Amino acid sequence: MKGLIRLAAALLLLWHVPGLHAQVTFPENGVSDPREGLHAFTNATIYTRYDQKLDNATLVIRKGKVEAVGVDVEVPRGAVVHDLQGKVIYPSFIDLYTDYGMPKANRQQRGGQTSMHRFERRPQPLTSRKGAWAWNEALKVDFRAHEHFTADAKTAKALREAGFGSVLSHRMDGIARGTGTLVTLGEGRAHELIVREKASNHLSFNKGSSQQSYPGSLMGAIALLRQTYYDGRWYAEAGRKEEVNNSLEAWNAVQALPQIFEVRDKWEALRAWRIGKEFGVSYIIKGAGDEYQRLDELKATGMAFIVPLNFPDAYDVEDPLDAMQVSLAEMKHWELAPTNPARLEQAGITFALTAHGLKKPSELLRRLRKAVQYGLSKEGALKALTWTPAHLIDATDQLGSLEPGKLANFLITSGDLFDDKTKIYENWIKGEQFVLERMPEVDLTGTYELKVGDDVWTLKVSGNAEKPGMKLQVNDSTTIDVSHKYAHGRITLSWSPSKEAKGKVRLSGVVEDDRWWGRGQLVDGTWVDWQAVPAVAAPQEGDKPERPDRDKKKKEDPLADLGEVWYPFTAYGWTERPTQKTWLIKNATVWTNEAEGVLRNTDVLIQDGKIAKIGKGLKANDAIEIDATGMHLTPGIIDEHTHIAITRGVNEGTQASSAEVRVGDVINPEDINIYRQLSGGVTTAQQLHGSANPIGGQSSIIKFRWGYDDQGMKFEGADEFIKFALGENVKQSNWGDNFRSRFPQTRMGVEQVYEDYFTRAREYGERKRSGKPYRVDLELEALLEILEGKRFITCHSYRQSEINMLMKVAERFGFRVNTFTHILEGYKVADKMARHGAGGSTFSDWWAYKFEVYEAIPYNGPLMHEQGVTVAYNSDDAEMARRLNQEAAKAVKYGGLSEEEALKFVTLNPARLLHIDDRVGSIKVGKDADVVLWSDHPLSIYARAEMTFVDGIKFFDRKEEAVLRRRNEQERNRLIQKMLAAKKKGAHTQHPKGRMPHLYHCEDLTDEIRGDE
Amino acid sequence: MRHIFFLLLIALLPLRGALWAQYVPVPAPPQQEPIAIVNATLHLGNGQVIENGIIAFDKGKITLVSDGRQRPDLSGHRIIDATGRHVYPGFIATNTSLGLVEIGAVRATVDYREVGTYNPNVRALIAYNTDSEVIPTVRSNGVLLVQTTPSGGRIPGMSSVMMTDGWNWEDAVLQADDGVHLNWPSPYSFNWRTRRITKNERYDEQVTDLRKFFDEAYAYYQRPEVEEKNLRFEAMKPVFEGTRNLYIHAELATNIEEAVLFAEDYGIRPVIVEATDAWLVADFLKAHGVPVILRTTFNLPRRPDEPVDLPFRTPALLHEKGVQFCFSQKGFWQQFNLPFVAGQAVAYGLPYEEAVRALTGATAEILGIADRVGTLEPGKDATLFISEGDALDMRTNQVTHAFIQGRRINLDNKHKMLYRKFKAKYEQIQQR
Repeated sequence: MKGLIRLAAALLLLWHVPGLHAQVTFPENGVSDPREGLHAFTNATIYTRYDQKLDNATLVIRKGKVEAVGVDVEVPRGAVVHDLQGKVIYPSFIDLYTDYGMPKANRQQRGGQTSMHRFERRPQPLTSRKGAWAWNEALKVDFRAHEHFTADAKTAKALREAGFGSVLSHRMDGIARGTGTLVTLGEGRAHELIVREKASNHLSFNKGSSQQSYPGSLMGAIALLRQTYYDGRWYAEAGRKEEVNNSLEAWNAVQALPQIFEVRDKWEALRAWRIGKEFGVSYIIKGAGDEYQRLDELKATGMAFIVPLNFPDAYDVEDPLDAMQVSLAEMKHWELAPTNPARLEQAGITFALTAHGLKKPSELLRRLRKAVQYGLSKEGALKALTWTPAHLIDATDQLGSLEPGKLANFLITSGDLFDDKTKIYENWIKGEQFVLERMPEVDLTGTYELKVGDDVWTLKVSGNAEKPGMKLQVNDSTTIDVSHKYAHGRITLSWSPSKEAKGKVRLSGVVEDDRWWGRGQLVDGTWVDWQAVPAVAAPQEGDKPERPDRDKKKKEDPLADLGEVWYPFTAYGWTERPTQKTWLIKNATVWTNEAEGVLRNTDVLIQDGKIAKIGKGLKANDAIEIDATGMHLTPGIIDEHTHIAITRGVNEGTQASSAEVRVGDVINPEDINIYRQLSGGVTTAQQLHGSANPIGGQSSIIKFRWGYDDQGMKFEGADEFIKFALGENVKQSNWGDNFRSRFPQTRMGVEQVYEDYFTRAREYGERKRSGKPYRVDLELEALLEILEGKRFITCHSYRQSEINMLMKVAERFGFRVNTFTHILEGYKVADKMARHGAGGSTFSDWWAYKFEVYEAIPYNGPLMHEQGVTVAYNSDDAEMARRLNQEAAKAVKYGGLSEEEALKFVTLNPARLLHIDDRVGSIKVGKDADVVLWSDHPLSIYARAEMTFVDGIKFFDRKEEAVLRRRNEQERNRLIQKMLAAKKKGAHTQHPKGRMPHLYHCEDLTDEIRGDE
Repeated sequence: MRHIFFLLLIALLPLRGALWAQYVPVPAPPQQEPIAIVNATLHLGNGQVIENGIIAFDKGKITLVSDGRQRPDLSGHRIIDATGRHVYPGFIATNTSLGLVEIGAVRATVDYREVGTYNPNVRALIAYNTDSEVIPTVRSNGVLLVQTTPSGGRIPGMSSVMMTDGWNWEDAVLQADDGVHLNWPSPYSFNWRTRRITKNERYDEQVTDLRKFFDEAYAYYQRPEVEEKNLRFEAMKPVFEGTRNLYIHAELATNIEEAVLFAEDYGIRPVIVEATDAWLVADFLKAHGVPVILRTTFNLPRRPDEPVDLPFRTPALLHEKGVQFCFSQKGFWQQFNLPFVAGQAVAYGLPYEEAVRALTGATAEILGIADRVGTLEPGKDATLFISEGDALDMRTNQVTHAFIQGRRINLDNKHKMLYRKFKAKYEQIQQR
């Protein structure tokens, strides 16, 4: 199939090459003007491919194609001959990531509002597109770039000037963006410019101009893509009999094309890869230029990349207070971004380069040269702009190198492309010449003996062929500037012979080989003959004054003082990942959370990530001893309810159910709050979807392994959970007047949502078991798992009536609600919860922030506990999570719980609620060594976490934090000084910008994946 | 011991709950008899502590503070033996909407934000709801006075210092209109979409606008006679006279400096509120004698690169530099955790009695009410409380007695009442 397409494209190409005496569909006006297009380029250095260089070679092209290239190639008779002595020919560049010639996405403005805040925008549940199209407006898969392509002379010119000969173009709009088309950058009809109509298919995580509410989060975009892959399969197998869906038809049709996926950062590249893996698709990733920050992970995917050269400008950090806005991560990226291409090359990752993201295409060469200065090989740079892009879209039959039969797309340059001084003279596209800068006809440089009448001068012509500079050497220290003009073989010279003499000598003549000669007038008007011939004398001193300087400049190696890549790439990142060690914690007060209770003066041995021994007077060879006299050792804090370390949206609250989305898809392992919470003793947390809809998304349980990648954070083998929510949030009570239409608007309706979804899930399960073809429905899959006891509910809840309701719904469908979270009125129905078997994870003392928490009381936890409910205290707050031990203390203050039981509220009990109490939650031989060493009684406000271990790895140590803090400051200072130096040298700078990461709460509803930035 | 007392309290209170079926207890009557608390650890609120001390008060005023080595004549006093317990001046909550809002998300109960940019004449005490069910929960942890403060706009209005017990705002007020609040413009803009902080292009314009307002207000203040009364400028007069505070809310170092210099142009010594970056400009604040109402310690570092414990350590840093400061806690219902805001600072280097001072004595000085409250000294209001243990640590904070101007406060509150109610439910189930 693919072959056929290619064949067809090739045939089509033959049809349309200009000058082939092709038959065209357009009538001609006037006399036809067929051209043979036969040119020979001789005496050139030719890169036939990025890695094949021929000296003194000849290139012959005919009718837009390469006919011959080589050292021994004969110039065919009738060819236009171009002598390219001293010039270099390269294949023209190819850019795979452009929207050249594409129409703008039309955004339907409704009421003039395009706010990111859903609060300010009316919800749109379905696509506004009429017809048999996909339900979701962000699926624009039927868009075919070649049907909309119109050449744009201005952009084409700019791209040509940057060295491009052809580009892949697509409309950058939507999650599924449709096909891209391969076009050349020549002038003429679109018919002739299109090389291949459907050359690629494009995807992204941005919904672009879609005004539809769903998806409003990154995890929603991922779910939408996954569902669409399933839908495509279903449609091909059976669905077509049930409905006509033009979008799915188009979706299936583009699957055979190269798939290009645009991402915003390195983590999104990995997210895309996981989708591809699930469906057997290999993506080419359009990256963000930060790939160097996670090379190993990206290399392991085997994916190819298209990377930008938009290295950030230095920040203007003259004002120290202003400079504080810029984070270390951004400063480090400024320094290291230019090394990205080199590092990709050294890692053996296939990559192409794009001008996308540059302010102007003309910046390309400068950036490219910078990348080479930062270690990218010249060969690699050339490859990434020629061969690789052609290869990635299966177009090496036509592009990417100069071989017979391929398109005659090439550059003529003044020399080595990577030399700062080198110019691109001409860019030939499909055999059509585009002059960017006139090639100098002659090289005038040298030293001449200039005779003017009777006077003899020494004329020095320095500089280069394009820009010669002329001076008369009067004596060792005195020179006179000479202005000159050369064109078409004629030259004029003029100068003032002395300061006193008012007036100029003016000469005019011709340049013939080495001799210049003609007539001129002296200052007094006398006509004289003149001539200039090369001087015989050896070059004198002062001939090459700049050379030594220039050499010195080159010695300044940009790689010399580069900072290291930190993991995570932020303050407090590691240069080396901390490892498991054998630790012997001596003489601590150990809160076991087991029958042993609190053990004083006790030792704990940690080995291979597990708690190996607990006792007095323990000894161990090669263990690192920690004197914990006066300190307390507790199990790591477990936060049952967090929203940290989540990327681009915590709520897919655009529909009453979003069971298909997974927080585990969007873990952000570089959130500084992970480290901050380690400093508060937190070792494990459940990342929950928000509470904007009755059925939220699937949860993720992570260990706080600071420095690991997103998947490395996951709690291995943990059960699967999902977030549900009740009350004011899901019935949109506080969302404003725009939100009065989504079902449900009352607690009555909430029950029916559950009743309905579980009924459908049950029927779905029956259909699945029946063996008949069925459409995989990710939403119902998740709900079916609940019915089958494979997925467990954490339900956001406040009022007792609805708590009771959900338990009754669950009982009717034969399952149990695992955990009620927030559960501020749990104390009113604790007996029912205990009977049902639900746990409660609550706040110690929050209340009064909305009506449904007006009867929340700090005695809630102890009251539920007394009735036999497993009770945890959680954070739902990035700041308070660091002090969960203090929250536990409030169970003693309000309600008089014992201190041991209170500590369990933030350790063992959340472990139970998450079904991980076989691994964590207590200090017991064989359990994971997730422990915290406190300076004081762990329930006291004066207790500081001194060390925090996860899997026997010390991820936090307050003393080391002080060292890292100094290192952060030193690194900042080094970079600030470097930026100041760069600014002084004339580098572009930008005003300091800060970034305020989103601290999510349950109720955050911002739309995070809109395209209009 | 603590639990026994607590159970006792619970056992005694249902009767009252039955008598008044609402969640705000009856305000306390004036002090009837002289009271002496003996054998207590007295935290004076001025940085000093007296172990095993005696404090006596009568007719609402403190009459005696003694270190217990003397044996003063306490005849006629009702004696409270506070052996092992601690006495503190009533903690003062600052910069809070407590009393101005009952339920955050219910608009009808929200009274802290008036429409308009310059509203210095708007008075918070008018909306102070003495019947708020929230207030009793706050005083139960030792917070007995609150600076009730409006917010929003450039000048949101005037705060007042209120007592947490009273029949109406008139008898609950301790200091009416203690100061005008001003939100300093931010030099940065925040883009929600990109989550980027960039330069606020309108910053100069906003500061100029502010200066225009102050220039006019100052001219009005100096004018011997005014034909048309301007309520806004009238409210500013005492600020220029120095009898009413100017609280400038500013977070960033640059803002703090600019705000201080701005106020000084009008002869005002301002108080800086929030002052997240105060540690960066501590020497400047010290040199200008400008005190700070510090943002809660329960906060994340403002910038990702900052030390993880910076908000916890900021009070100690300011103390070391000699900057006068007091604590604040965000929100309204959250004020019951104000004592722990201070405790957190102690864990990170602030001397304990200094932490107490920054909840009491220093606060009173900053608010300009130190002649009446803030420390345990004879002649001052008997606004104080007894805690079973260290009141700055949630592990030990158990307030057993609280007095406002000598009036013994009913420490019952909505939370305790609901606790009893549902305790009763489970007792009924057990009896069945």
